[in-house]
Parts: sequence; C-alpha cells; structure tokens
Amino acid sequence: MLEIIAETLRTTIAVGLILAGILTILIWVRNLTKKLSALRLFIQTVSVAVIFLGLIIGPFGLAEWAYLGSAPKDIVIGTNILGSPYPDGLSVPTFACYYASGRTTTCVIWQLQSYIFPDWSTSSVYLTTGLERLAIAFGLLVIISIVFGRFLCGWICPFGLYMDLLTRLRNALKIRHWTLSERVNEGLRQSRYLIIAAFLILSVILGMRAIAGVELISESELGRYLELPFCQVCPVKPLFVLVEGGLGFMNLDYALSQTMGDFALTGWYLTSINIIILGVVTAGSFMVRRLWCRICPLGGLIALFSRFGPFKRLSLIKLTKVEEKCTKCGICKRVCPPQVTEVYEKKGDDVTASDCILCFRCVEMCPYEGCLKVEVAGKPIYKSKNWLKEEE
Amino acid sequence: MASEIEKGTRYIPEMAQNEIDELRSSIKAASIKVMEENIARMKKTWKNRPKTMEYFDEISNFFGRREKEIREQKEAGKKVIGYSCMFAPIELILAAGAIPVRVGSGWYDTAKLGDRIMPVEVCPVIRSTVGAKMVSLSPYLELSDAIINPLTCDGRTKLSEILSDYKTIWYMTPPRVKDDPHALTAWKEEIQVIKGKIEKLTGNKITRKNLKDAIELMQKATKAFRRLQGLRKGAPVITGRDAMLVNQTSLWDDIERWTQKTNELCDELEKRLEQKEYACYPDTPRVMITGTPMIWPDSWKVPNIIEESNPQGVLVVDELCTGDRILYDPVGVDEWTIKDMLDAVSERYLMASTCPCFTSEHGNEDRVNWIMDRIKEYKVDGVIYYVIRGCILYAMEYARIKRILDRMNIPVYYLDTEYTRQDVGQMKTRIEAFLEMLEARIDI
Repeated sequence: MLEIIAETLRTTIAVGLILAGILTILIWVRNLTKKLSALRLFIQTVSVAVIFLGLIIGPFGLAEWAYLGSAPKDIVIGTNILGSPYPDGLSVPTFACYYASGRTTTCVIWQLQSYIFPDWSTSSVYLTTGLERLAIAFGLLVIISIVFGRFLCGWICPFGLYMDLLTRLRNALKIRHWTLSERVNEGLRQSRYLIIAAFLILSVILGMRAIAGVELISESELGRYLELPFCQVCPVKPLFVLVEGGLGFMNLDYALSQTMGDFALTGWYLTSINIIILGVVTAGSFMVRRLWCRICPLGGLIALFSRFGPFKRLSLIKLTKVEEKCTKCGICKRVCPPQVTEVYEKKGDDVTASDCILCFRCVEMCPYEGCLKVEVAGKPIYKSKNWLKEEE
Repeated sequence: MASEIEKGTRYIPEMAQNEIDELRSSIKAASIKVMEENIARMKKTWKNRPKTMEYFDEISNFFGRREKEIREQKEAGKKVIGYSCMFAPIELILAAGAIPVRVGSGWYDTAKLGDRIMPVEVCPVIRSTVGAKMVSLSPYLELSDAIINPLTCDGRTKLSEILSDYKTIWYMTPPRVKDDPHALTAWKEEIQVIKGKIEKLTGNKITRKNLKDAIELMQKATKAFRRLQGLRKGAPVITGRDAMLVNQTSLWDDIERWTQKTNELCDELEKRLEQKEYACYPDTPRVMITGTPMIWPDSWKVPNIIEESNPQGVLVVDELCTGDRILYDPVGVDEWTIKDMLDAVSERYLMASTCPCFTSEHGNEDRVNWIMDRIKEYKVDGVIYYVIRGCILYAMEYARIKRILDRMNIPVYYLDTEYTRQDVGQMKTRIEAFLEMLEARIDI
C-alpha cells in the first residue's frame, strides 16, 4: 500500500517538476530578464539550487547515508565555527528544511527550537553549549534580517518559488486570483506572531528538562518527534520530503517508516498534519497569491527584526515612495502578491511594510517615473520607470 | 403631468427648421474660419513647423476628413460612442469595436444659443454643448449612437437630462471620495454596467482577447503621448499650442493612426533637439496652465495670447483634462484575465484621475501633487490658473493651489474668462504683464 502511494507520488512529482522546469525556462527565455519578475524567477531558481547544492554536486567525498538510500549528504556551510564542531551549520531565515537532503544551510526555526531542547550542555555531537548555539542562531537571524529583510522571502525562499510557480500555472490557465479582504489579511498578519509565540513557548515547555530539570515528556519516540513543535505542522517539510523522495534523492519508504501509528500520524519526516496543511496551503496559494507569506512565522521573525522599532531604521533594503509623483492610481495595490496596502496608502518616504516580501512587483508596475524606489543603505538601486517603454 | 411633455421638447424650445439651418451654417462657417485662423497663427509663431503637424491640422477640422471617415465607418455598420468626460472607459468602447469620440464643445457662438435655456451661471462648456445640439452643429455628437456622460459636476448632471431628449445617454456616477474602499467597488459596478450597455449596443461581446488588444492599443498611444510630453521638458522644441492640438486630436482621431503620427512627430522633434532647432528662444518663460478644460477651436484664445504676446511665453505643460491628462495614465494589468483587466480599467479611470470633483480629508491632494511634480519636472516659471466663469470646482480649489505655489515661490495668475471673444484685448494686457514679470524673474 505504502509503496504504491510512494510510487504514484514519485511519478507525479517527477513529471510535475520536469514540466515546471520546462515552463520556467520557456518563460525566462521569452522575457530574458528584461522584466524584473523574470529576473526574480531566475534568482529564485538559482537560490533553490544553491540551498540544495548537495543534490547537484552529489556526495562528493562524503560517505552515503545508508538509511536514506543513495541520498547525497548535506553540504552544510559552517560546520566548524571557531574550531568547534557545529554540525547543523549556519542558519539562514529561509525554508532550507532540515529534513531534506543535500541542503547547504539550515532553517532558523528548526535551530531555535532544537537548541532550546533538550539540553543546554555540551554533548558528543555539539561541543558548543546550548546557549552558545542559540546565540549564534539568533544573532544570525537578527543580522540577516537587518541586511536582507524580507528580500529573502521574495527572492530566495524555495517555498516562495513554489507559490510563485502555482501563480504562474494559474495565470497560464487564465484563472483570476482571489483577493482576501483586509480583515482576513490583518488576522493572518497577527496570527503569525501567535504562531511564533506558540512554538517558542512550546519548545520552552518541552525543554524544561534543560532549564529546570523537569522532564515533561520522556525521551521516547513521541518525545523525539515533539521536540520540534513547529516542524510537525510546517507545510514546507512534507513538500521537500515528497519532492526529494519522488526524485529519488531520498528513500521515501524509509522516510515514511519513521512514524508512530498509521499513515504517518506523527513522524520524523512526515506527519498527517503536515500533509493536510501542505494540501490546504497549496490549494490556497493556487488561488491566492503568496498565501503562506501572509501567515509565515519565519517571515514574521524577519519582519520583527527589520520592520519594527529600532530595527526599522537599521534595515538596509527599503522601499521608498515620492508622494508628489503618485496619482494614487492603485496599480501597486492590485499587483502586490501579499496584498500590501501600505505602499498605496502611505504618504511617501519609507513605505516598507511588515508584510512586504520586497519582490518589487509594485516598482516594476508603477507607471510613474521615479515614484517608487528600492533603496539599499539609502542608495536607490531600482526605480519605477515608464514601463511602457519596455514593450519594444 | 410631466409625461405629457413629449421627449425632445422637455428643455429645448421648438425652433423652425430654417432657423436651425441658418444658424448652423453661419456658426459652421465662423467655426471653420476660427480653426483656419488658429492654425495660421500657430504657423506664424512657429516658422519651421514640422511637416507631420499638417496631419494634425487636417484631423483637427471638425467638418473634414475625420467626420467623413466616421460617417463611412458608421454606414459600414460600426457604432459610434460619444463621451463627454475623461471618466468614460475608452478601452471598453474600442474592445467592442465601436468608435470613441469626445463630444464636449468649445464653440463660443453656440454658448449664446445655450443661454436661451440654461442660466448664465452655468459653465459655458455645458451651455455651448447644449447650443451645439440645438442647431445640430457638432458632427461627432450627431453621429454618436450613444453618449457616455459621467456626472462629474452639476453642469454635466443636467446636460445628460437635456441631451437625453435626442440621444441615448448612459450615465456614470463617479464617487466623490476616491480613497474610500467602497468607492472603487461602486465604480467597478458602474464599469460593469457600461460594459453591458456597450455590448448590447454594438452586439459584440467584450472578451479577454479584444479587451487585451484594446488595452495594448491604448498603452501604445500612452507611450507616444508620454514621449511627446517628455520632449517638452527640455528646451522648447514644440510650441504649447501645437502639442495641445496633437493631444486633443487623440480625442476623436483613430487612435492607432494617431499613435503612429505622434511617433513620427516625435522622431522629427528629437532630430531638431539634436540640431538645437527650437520653436522659440530657449529662455522664453515657461508657463503651465491648469484649470477648466480648453477645447478646440475657440478656447485656443488664451494659449494664442500667451504664445503670441510680447514678451512671449511658451506653454510647456498643462493640467487640463483636454490636455496632458488625456492619455498620461496607462492601464496597468497584472494578470491578463478579463476580471483583472476590468479592474485595471476601472482603477485607471477613477483612481488616477486628478479631477477637482473629488474631495477627501487630505484635500484633493492628487491634483496638488500632479501640479507640484510638473512644475519641478518641466521647470515651470509661472502658472496660469485658467477658470471660465461657472466652473466652480476649479475656481474653489484656487485658494489651496495658490498657497502651495506661493510656498514653492512659483507665481500664479488667476485668469477668469468666458466663452466670448470680447475680452481678448484686456486679457492680452493681463497676460503680458504676467509674462513680463516672469521674464524679469528669469533675468534675476
């Protein structure tokens, strides 16, 4: 039974990926980066390739990991910091999923949860203490957030690429997207902080043993799965596991067997909640552009350290608007994938919103020369221009 | 009982046919004379006028080539849809295969006829349009199968009632506060209704394909239009009146041919710019006009004075819905589905408009912003705030605009006039004094 499902998934995903690849190349060749959105698609693809470089380079000089079949081992960057082993490598606040094979970097949410649990002392695996590990992960999160901000979401994130491909597929089918009401958007925007708070609190509770010596959940199988509460609901984990399993980079049978109970109710690689959420998010982001980004706790974390309080001034990449050149034609509001309204509503200067994924679609589509600008450390690098000129 | 009065006689008094004919032929003759005179004056100011301008001269004639073309196309089965104001969605008319023509009137003589039924307090644009209808003067109004009349001001509201005696009038009610979220929703409904009406009249469905073609056609026109406007930013390679004529012919010309001709004109002007062959001295005071729409041919009065007076001024930019605002804003489509295109069309006509009929808690700041931006972009030396008596929306916004221009240290002159030729003499004196002051400021 399990094998049939795995086989079907494998074939479907392989065919889907090949078709998506051809589509991407076709779109890119046609536009030839004349358009910013085509360039973005290209950079997103390259970023995914870089994040999962191990899949391309292969297990170069590394031993294969028997459990996962011929899976090439991860080529994690920064496994050795200041002379002490740091096996998970440096984290980047993007969905470089820990569970997938061949990654070069690690998702920061995984690290934050993982290091808070189960113990803060050094171990045979980690020579650094839990506190040090947390400090490295957290410090990187803050620095990268300030430097790149949610540019990572728009241009680097592999799950973002997945949603953008769904959007392109919908466009090819000539179906119009759904717009969510401002109230729903606001709800999603706020709930992402609830999610952050929930999983951090849960991690702390589950990590009580490390802090206070109180053991709430014994180190049983179930305990092993629950150490990382967010990963058990995250839609990205099953996507990568299924894609890599489908492509043969990962032994799907092994991945599916790492479960408790029937059909991966709880599991290391896949849980039923994972799959259900992935299904809902996929269906949702087919109709609603960048649906997950509106609720993404990772995006919320980046926004926290780039759009609020003192970080707002420090953050490097900014979207600015010249109020005088704006006629409030509303194009920026309509073309925005996560439906940000601040660019339209705010009266000039810094219009970067916490929901903005810095995809610069609004700058690309703004018909008034020099009205919207992308500024890096105060220097404009990309301006809205008379896009009508590009047609020829 | 109201229903006893027959349609067609509710407002306009019965006139004998021979009186109508007589009036029409005399006004038509006078109008042709005015158009010829205007062109002759433009040629006199700009000695080496480009050859391409001859095309626009020809099209600008209301009773010439374009009228014949529309008549022929109408006989071949095409529908003609007139519109009185910038809020009418041209893309939808084009998509349904109909011919869009603007029907606003700039005839001074017909304004006097309109006085017979309209009070003199009413804006002369409205009175003149009514007068033109009384004697069936305007060929585009006569040829229209239906007229889209957006109810932007009080004058237009009653205009549609009067015109509905003769024509099918389709109303559109633009919301008065455009930043309100439900304003756009309401406007999108209006667009949907108009779309239905256009489809019913023409018998052609507005599909994804033909709407996309129409939008792309208009985008090309916008591109040519912006190219011409861009050329006015530097040293004057074209006189303001010629540019205004080019802009205004787009209101009734075949838009594809207009785009092609405008691009030809721009090619020629770009060559002249390289050779430093200007339409007037490069340090001529640069004037901007804002206010009530100026409609060809009779409302060329003020531009004529500005560019012929001594010292001379040159119109580099304007904020008129019959001028630089006509084609400036493109329809920006994100996803080429019919719904997104319709939304884009709705937004372009409502949101991008800087008409003074809007209000908001921030004031009509879009118009203020437009003016401020143009002053900087086109290096304007002075602004003429042109208001014709009765155009109260523009007149009321003067105080606000003046305060902002004062802060920018840009002289502004409030010029109020009427649809009459009698004040040309005193207007010349006033404008010359203003231009002299501008010239003195430049010298300093």
